[in-house]
Amino acid sequence: MRDLAGYILKRGLWMVLTLWVVYSISFALMRSVPGNPFSSERGMPPAIELQMKARYNLDAPIMQQYVDILKGIVFRGDMGWSYKLEDYSVNQVIAEGFPVSASLAIFALVFALILGITAGVISAVYRRTPADTALMMAAVLGIAVPNFVIASIAILLFVFMLQLFPAAGWGTLSQIALPALCLGMPIAAYIARLTRTGMLETMTKDHVRTAFAKGLPRHKVITRHVLPGALLPVVSYLGPAVARVLTGSVVLEKIFALPGMGSHFINAALQRDYTVAMGMVLIYTVLLFVMNTLVDITYSIIDPRVKLQ
Amino acid sequence: MMTDSNRETLERILAESKGIHGVSLWQDAWRRLRRNKTAMISLVFLILLAVMAFITPLLPLQSPIDKDLNNRRFLPPNLQAVVMGSRADLKFEGGTLTGEMAKFDKMIVALQEDAAQTGDADEQQKIAESIQSRMEVEHPFNQLWNELDPLSWKMTEIRIAVFGDYSIPSVFGTDKLGRDLLARVFWGARVSLIVGVIAALVSLIIGVSYGAIAGYFGGHIDAAMMRLVDVLYSVPFFFVVIFLLTFLGEPDVKAWFDSVGVDQIMVFYITIGAIYWLTMSRVVRGQVLALRHEQFIEAAQTIGASPPRIIFRHLVPNVMGVVIVYLTLTIPSVMLFEAFLSFLGMGVAPPDVSWGLLLNDGIEALSIIKIFWWVVLFPGAALAFTLFALNFLGDGLRDALDPRMKNRD
Amino acid sequence: MAPEIRRGFIIAALILLVFALLWASRTENIPPADFSLQNGTDPKTIDPHRASGQPESRIIFEIFEGLMRMLPEGDPDPETGLQALSPQPGMAKSYDVSEDGKTYTFHLRDDILWTDGTPVTAHDFAWSWHRMLHPATGCEYGYLINELRLAEAYHKQLLNIGDRVEVELWDRPEDGDPNSDEKGALQHFPRGTIVYGWLREIEKTPEPEFEKNESGEYIQNEDERNSAIAQWKQSWIYRIDVVPTDDADQPQWDGNAESQRFSQSLEICSADQDIQRTHFVLVDFVHNGGAQAIDDKTFVVHLNNSIPYFLNLVAYYPLFPVNKKCIETHGAPLWTKTENIVTNGPFNLDFRRLRNRVRVRRNPDYWAIDRVGLETIDFMSLESQNTALNMYETGQLHWINDLPTSVLEELQKRDDFHSGPKLSIYFYKLNTAVKPLDQVKVRQALSMAINRKQIVEEVTKAGQQPALSVVPPGLAGYRGAEGLPENLEKARELLAESGYPGGRGFPKLTLMYNTSETHRPIAEVIQQQLQNNLNIKIELKNMEWGSFIETVQQEDYQMARYGWVGDYPDPNTFLDLWVSSSPQSNTNWKNPEYDRLIVAAGKEFDSKKRMELLRQAEQILATELPIIPIYFYTSAEMAKPNIEGFAPSAQDLHPLSVLRLRDSSTATKE
Repeated sequence: MRDLAGYILKRGLWMVLTLWVVYSISFALMRSVPGNPFSSERGMPPAIELQMKARYNLDAPIMQQYVDILKGIVFRGDMGWSYKLEDYSVNQVIAEGFPVSASLAIFALVFALILGITAGVISAVYRRTPADTALMMAAVLGIAVPNFVIASIAILLFVFMLQLFPAAGWGTLSQIALPALCLGMPIAAYIARLTRTGMLETMTKDHVRTAFAKGLPRHKVITRHVLPGALLPVVSYLGPAVARVLTGSVVLEKIFALPGMGSHFINAALQRDYTVAMGMVLIYTVLLFVMNTLVDITYSIIDPRVKLQ
Repeated sequence: MMTDSNRETLERILAESKGIHGVSLWQDAWRRLRRNKTAMISLVFLILLAVMAFITPLLPLQSPIDKDLNNRRFLPPNLQAVVMGSRADLKFEGGTLTGEMAKFDKMIVALQEDAAQTGDADEQQKIAESIQSRMEVEHPFNQLWNELDPLSWKMTEIRIAVFGDYSIPSVFGTDKLGRDLLARVFWGARVSLIVGVIAALVSLIIGVSYGAIAGYFGGHIDAAMMRLVDVLYSVPFFFVVIFLLTFLGEPDVKAWFDSVGVDQIMVFYITIGAIYWLTMSRVVRGQVLALRHEQFIEAAQTIGASPPRIIFRHLVPNVMGVVIVYLTLTIPSVMLFEAFLSFLGMGVAPPDVSWGLLLNDGIEALSIIKIFWWVVLFPGAALAFTLFALNFLGDGLRDALDPRMKNRD
Repeated sequence: MAPEIRRGFIIAALILLVFALLWASRTENIPPADFSLQNGTDPKTIDPHRASGQPESRIIFEIFEGLMRMLPEGDPDPETGLQALSPQPGMAKSYDVSEDGKTYTFHLRDDILWTDGTPVTAHDFAWSWHRMLHPATGCEYGYLINELRLAEAYHKQLLNIGDRVEVELWDRPEDGDPNSDEKGALQHFPRGTIVYGWLREIEKTPEPEFEKNESGEYIQNEDERNSAIAQWKQSWIYRIDVVPTDDADQPQWDGNAESQRFSQSLEICSADQDIQRTHFVLVDFVHNGGAQAIDDKTFVVHLNNSIPYFLNLVAYYPLFPVNKKCIETHGAPLWTKTENIVTNGPFNLDFRRLRNRVRVRRNPDYWAIDRVGLETIDFMSLESQNTALNMYETGQLHWINDLPTSVLEELQKRDDFHSGPKLSIYFYKLNTAVKPLDQVKVRQALSMAINRKQIVEEVTKAGQQPALSVVPPGLAGYRGAEGLPENLEKARELLAESGYPGGRGFPKLTLMYNTSETHRPIAEVIQQQLQNNLNIKIELKNMEWGSFIETVQQEDYQMARYGWVGDYPDPNTFLDLWVSSSPQSNTNWKNPEYDRLIVAAGKEFDSKKRMELLRQAEQILATELPIIPIYFYTSAEMAKPNIEGFAPSAQDLHPLSVLRLRDSSTATKE
């Protein structure tokens, strides 16, 4: 237990360092792309544009801005005001968008895990049967069709033909269900494939063969001996899966008109909304880092061969 | 002192050992792959697809860019014959491509005769230049295809020589601007396939080397290398792509790339590949971490094999199974990312066409009021079948390449 | 690790998962509104002086009210279905105009209240217009009332020696020490202590000069040059004879003046303690400007020249009043939060969900509450055309205004489809500094070779009108200029005359457009038409709005798609963009005769002569073609049949306060 605490502490320090690096890289990237946040169709008089820049401290020397923003984040937890969603601070943008994205992501991931692992196990156990082929075909279909196509077809099917769900919007469980399904589908497909591969791999291992040889019942061998090993790739995929869900949801947010963070992320980057973009990058970094740490810890617990370092 | 019989025995053994041919890993794998029916079908399909994509200009397809707005918008799949160059607005001679080409050739011949008649060298030079620029600018091909490279141009000429004005009817239907979808799916395949393959290869090379090195050395090196991966993971690469898109669009940068002869889009897709290596490196590293305490590695270390040799000779082949599974997932990812960029309006620019662009057009035409199913079905099916095949081939290769599967089954 | 820890870990993970699921399934049930509409992108702000787009304006029109308000006049035109709108008394019950059209006197109603219960007064308007023009507010619409006395000088910070000026000292609440550069994060209006005086002298260092390369172009880009100029202006030292003020804070211009020196620069002020730090030195608009409150209910406006469409401007949201106390208490942008905001329109802000919706609720204290037929309105933030259509079809939306073109033909057949001409134009800007677009004949050839009929009939399909000139038809008293008709033969001739016979030698041009489902197909068709007709190759490049605008403003483009919606119903809004000094032109096109005509028209009081001057200007534009007009927009929208009073209008304004539900029982079905 002690090395776990030490590990978490160490990872925490790493996270701070990572955040700083990410902050610096993003700052440099954003300021080097041409374009400024106050370009507008009506062409502001230069004097007014300068006022706007002064208002957001964009007239300061670039290093000064770098330090000022960093200070604001570290000492006050304040990421500044959005340039484009003028009435909102970045913290408010995140406060409104995060719960939506998180709900969506949780449903999508849980759905993907349950469906993916079940399908993967079935298809590995019944290898080379029609069930295996069918499941893997379905999994490949999930991977092979872009989720905007899946979503468009799902809307036609579930909204208009079966009339099960509302067309779009956010607020009720029925409104979450369809986008979460569409978001989880490709991930479920990945997980199914990884589970199957992992299962087949593990089933050839000596300890599994020994277990079979001992005459243990098949389901016991599979749940006790095969599955833990087989789920290793799945566990290591969970980190990227979270990233995928958070950014990949931008398509679904657009199609289903959801007020999540994904579209903030894209829009802020495209519209040079430096503060929001920075806020999104940092939030995203923290999330990924935490997920990756959890994945590593899980990995070490499930697989005794791997030690936390 | 060696006796004769000893020498004889030794020679005999040597001779025998020469007769034994080691079966290499890949030969063995190929032997086993051939027994896997789905994988072989997939392989054949993919090879066929690649060949078809390559010889697309030879096929009697309609023009992928010619928009017949007035008569052919949103035509469902049909078997009506279409004559090349018959659209009225093209104003081709006789309403056919061959007619216009004959006219064009006649003009060129007339110019050449002029050149032959004048004795003046300057005048001849001038006419020759005019012919050259006419060939480039006024040739009827320019109206029906976009910037054919020399090889495709030649293939198109052969196609016209063989098939004349015949073209396959719009069996896939037409899109909202009246373009033939069959031709667009074929031309789109060229872009999408190249994108997928190049990006996946780049990710493979970087990811495997990086992951294997980190996993093998472990300790501080591993920690440092994996922290770098963590940091890179946390940089949302959408930023990188937008940054690159804008950067590559800068006139100076563009001019530089043109001068080096590198296609902009190529640079762009290599970049995508360079982003996708992260997951690959993690997976490989995880596998190598688990493998490096295995006996065969220790054995190799004991006999003094160098780390590069151990990594690339012993470890990498052993993780190939997972790597290939990941590769078969990476190619689709890249192709889907291309579609995602198209969805956001940042994919290839018309008149170029890719499957992602076609699919994006397709879902715009999917609405409850009226469903133009063919606009989304055919490009979708093309993409899906390709990725299907890639996946099954990947599975087959995995089974075939895995050294632990040897002599089993 | 020990197996029991492993088991414990798995159980813990499962429990965590269940909690996560429970947390994720908590829902917030918002009852549907009486009326929901598709409002495009999320509103940037609901501050009338900061807003600029249509999504913002739709909301501001309903929660605020100006002296005048655009309301339907008469019944819709039976032929086009267009509803005529005119400025009608809002906060003002009546107004008087002087004979020369330069002075307007507005008389405010007695029963008008802010939502905090205080009455709306003429002082609110004076203060609001002042805030709108103040440079620190950064209002994009300041130019609309350039004719207001002193407005332009105040807005653009123009000064002349001898002016009566106001000086804002460096003592805003958030300023802190004037000798440091720490900044308050946000603007609080109004400002620090103001002193008044006569501007006697401005001490300037030499103006920065910029190097040019051999071809006469600046080495630094416009941004860098502007910021160098701004730096330089910061270093100015103003010598001002400061006059005393009386108890009511009125400056005594004849009082004993005391000479003082001021500067904006931190270094100068800390180096010389005699120089006081200031935020702004501006002309004294408050006391001498063209917007004066005579008493609580009388508001007088003085214009330098008459503006025939002035009442339309007064009914436009940038000139709407905002509540002084609210802004002073909370500061910007915090005053726009639902719990803080104070408004005066037919609706109150009920709540606001980012990227989801803005809900407004009927304001019971509104003076004309009987006219307001809807209890609640949802302005839904929706960008995707298909999503909006789906929501409309399932009854989640009642009005959608951005329809997918692929099904437009089907939708047009339905009864709930509405369409009418809009006061706006779709065109391609040409950068006339780039070869070969610097040749008039090349520009004419390009324009003549485009088949606009094909574009409006086969691509956009909503009944748009092909455009050969720039002012949309239908403006009262104006007959538009004749454009150059499409003519292929002529186009080829012109191209040959410019040195590109048969398109040979013509460089590849790049056409930029911002990412959108409609711009790409149009660009693709024009690409084909120019290739087929002139053998000219066009490269397409789409960009996200932010970088698109930036690239055009840096004049780093060749051809760029643009649209312009009239700010007010007058040809001037389409023509004054293209004068040489306009920051919106970006075409590098300069024509002295054109500039002269536009200026002359601005000074002309006689409507007929004025229109003739504008027509002549448009004729020059339509012949020289720094822009290629493509078509005049048509609105295409769907509204549920149970909504009464819905009709399209030329300015694309839809006063929601006049809508009512025909039958309330079917209105709320979800």
